[in-house]
Amino acid sequence: MKLNRQFSRLLNGWMILSIGIVLLILFPNISILINFFTQETSNWDHIKTHILPLLIQNTSIIMIFTGFFTIMIGTSLAWLVSAYDFPFKRFFQWGLILPLAIPPYIAAYTYNGMLNYTGVIQTGLRNQFNIQVDQRYFDIMTLPGSIFIFTLFLYPYVYMITRAFLANQSAALIENAKMLGSNSFEIFFRVVMPISRGAIVGGVSLVLLEVLNDYGVVQYFGIPTFSTAIFQTWFGMGDLNAAIKLSATLMFIVFFILIVEKFLRGRKRYSYTAARVRPLTPIRLTGWRAWSVFAYAGIIFALAFLIPVIQLVDWMVLTYDKMIDPVFLSLIFNSLFVALAGAAMIVIFAVIVANFARTQQNWLSKASTRTIILGYSIPGAVIAVGIITVFIQIDELLFGIYEAIGLDPTLILSTSLFMLISAFVIRFLAVGFNAIESGFDKTGIKFSEASRTLGMSMTKTFFKVDVHLIKGAIFSGFILSFIEIMKELPLTLILRPFNFDTLSTKAFQYASDEQIHEASLPSIIIIVLSGIAIYFFHHVVEKEPD
Amino acid sequence: MYIQIKELSFSYGRSQKPIINNFNLEIAKGDIVSILGESGSGKSTILRLICGLETPVCGSISINKQMMSDGRHCILPEKRSIGMMFQDYALFPHMSVADNVQFGLKHKSRKDKRKRVDQVLELVNMSDFRNRYPHELSGGQQQRIALARSLAPEPSLLLMDEPFSNLDADLQIKIRNELRDIIKATGTTSIFVTHDREDARAIADRIITMREGSAYEWDSLCTIDDLTEPALVD
Ligand SMILES: Nc1ncnc2c1ncn2[C@@H]1O[C@H](COP(=O)(O)OP(=O)(O)OP(=O)(O)O)[C@@H](O)[C@H]1O
Ligand SMILES: [Mg+2]
Repeated sequence: MKLNRQFSRLLNGWMILSIGIVLLILFPNISILINFFTQETSNWDHIKTHILPLLIQNTSIIMIFTGFFTIMIGTSLAWLVSAYDFPFKRFFQWGLILPLAIPPYIAAYTYNGMLNYTGVIQTGLRNQFNIQVDQRYFDIMTLPGSIFIFTLFLYPYVYMITRAFLANQSAALIENAKMLGSNSFEIFFRVVMPISRGAIVGGVSLVLLEVLNDYGVVQYFGIPTFSTAIFQTWFGMGDLNAAIKLSATLMFIVFFILIVEKFLRGRKRYSYTAARVRPLTPIRLTGWRAWSVFAYAGIIFALAFLIPVIQLVDWMVLTYDKMIDPVFLSLIFNSLFVALAGAAMIVIFAVIVANFARTQQNWLSKASTRTIILGYSIPGAVIAVGIITVFIQIDELLFGIYEAIGLDPTLILSTSLFMLISAFVIRFLAVGFNAIESGFDKTGIKFSEASRTLGMSMTKTFFKVDVHLIKGAIFSGFILSFIEIMKELPLTLILRPFNFDTLSTKAFQYASDEQIHEASLPSIIIIVLSGIAIYFFHHVVEKEPD
Repeated sequence: MYIQIKELSFSYGRSQKPIINNFNLEIAKGDIVSILGESGSGKSTILRLICGLETPVCGSISINKQMMSDGRHCILPEKRSIGMMFQDYALFPHMSVADNVQFGLKHKSRKDKRKRVDQVLELVNMSDFRNRYPHELSGGQQQRIALARSLAPEPSLLLMDEPFSNLDADLQIKIRNELRDIIKATGTTSIFVTHDREDARAIADRIITMREGSAYEWDSLCTIDDLTEPALVD
């Protein structure tokens, strides 16, 4: 009876919509897990014995080294920026996040374009100094090359989260260690690294999930990994079933990472919003120390942002006048359209679930938020496979209806833009959700409760009170998911309707067809938009305390 | 009795120990009752249960013979017509004073709404501030607007959660007599939560203390000092 009463209190539009949204995310993922256990095809048999070991080996090597290097670079930069003052530090604080504006696949073909035989470095050496280099040392399209790219363009995840942690929580511990006479290296390895463990693990797990999500870098470099193998079995061999089995295997790896992350983080979860205890007071560095720290941060910034951007701008200047034509404008239009539509849906869904979750603190709301976060962990190729199996099934169910209303009983939904946008929602709902949830966290529940006691229903309260108080967060959520969709590659490549191209798919196609100059303009547009968003969020919104 | 609370129990989360345990209280129409208790004794919780922001584990609450909450039903907070003044007032920051006060008024013409807003602003002596925003008001002024906002829809019961906790001592003494006069002028049945014995004595017709989640009544106001905190007798 108690349960019944609780339930009827909960049962309102917000809950029903939230459950619907959560099911939308769960369906494709569950359909993959279920299909993993269906009959094995002969293709799968072949893949399992001949290809899978290689995929696992490549994926593990990339993950281990990228993980290691991003931890070293991300944590050391976070520590230097938090604990010391050095030239241009205020710029580096947010400038070191900027590499996130460059999607790794763009970085991959930019670096290859710079380093290959016709690239600026080798031609420079040949023409100015008459030096012929050994091509082996300039070939970036290798496993180590991919690790280089992933490290440079994903370390900001570790940097960002660790820095937020160090800025907020660590003052007392670190100052203690200093008073006990430890030197800087000792403090870094014996105090900073261990106390930031939670933050570092949080950051590096984002890095690893991005690595697993990647399709562009490994495809361009020709390294067999799960994403490329899923594409291959599906489009190359036409074997959806084997693609599903590969996807499920990849999903198990993701679950494994998530479990290890939870275990390593320990009981205490770091949090962005934790009350500011006492910020660490930075020490002013002088002389060669100051300049060597500046040089370190500067080199990373140059490699991970400045140099590739200059190269892209250079290529763009060569080609932009013949690039801008109606076809290119339609690319921009397509990109804007899917990103706006996707971001709008994401924000609406995120607001619904976040509002449900904060007003009803129970297992159902907790499960909902977990599921949304999970969606963000699933690689794009897996979501693509999952969603297409679900949409094909829906289409088959609807054949009767299509016929009844005079349409051809073909695959309608599963070849439409609607499917692509749904996939974006599944993959990036967490991005919008996090922004909006933190907006709700900041305002708290008291205004909504005041409104309820003044006779407004939950829905009226939402429109009259809540929306006004979380406007900023809704805007942030919208912009962040908009940018994610603009940059996205694997989902868009797989699920786009026939002949539908966006800036990211076209840039990647140009690069794959060795039309690297033509790839620069769409790449720059993506980078500029992401860069503005990053500047806005990390420099303007999260104003630095000093 | 106008208000009847019977054998109310409640705990946050399933397995935690009950915060409210077999709580009983009856209040006559028009009375002001103070609930006195230490920090953490569950005073805010009991108000949240009464206005419907929490659901009791068992027990019943009725107002004017209307069942608000029993073993089977639980009326939503917006359907209870209970006014609540929150500990930190919770004035809507994006609305002017007048819009805040008007927020709870329903089923009225625009003219009648305006009239009612003028009336309650008059009552709390804040007519000159109707176009200000909450952050442009002092603590005492905010408190009076919060009172006006909860009185405007003519609630059948007014709950106040430590309305003085954000005010300095001088203002507190001045305002608490005023508060009693205002509430008495409207004849609203009220429950007033505080941890300050002086407040309770100045405002209430009756005083209840909370201990271990239950209510204890003190017949005579003079005995309170002796029974709760003997060390602080004037
Ligand atoms: N949301 C919550 N979840 C779990 N426990 C809670 C929650 N809110 C309050 N409590 C606990 O319930 C008990 C009673 O809290 P309550 O806020 O009712 O106390 P109070 O008498 O109003 O205290 P104060 O005078 O400090 O306002 C406290 O022990 C508190 O820790
Ligand atoms: Mg309280």
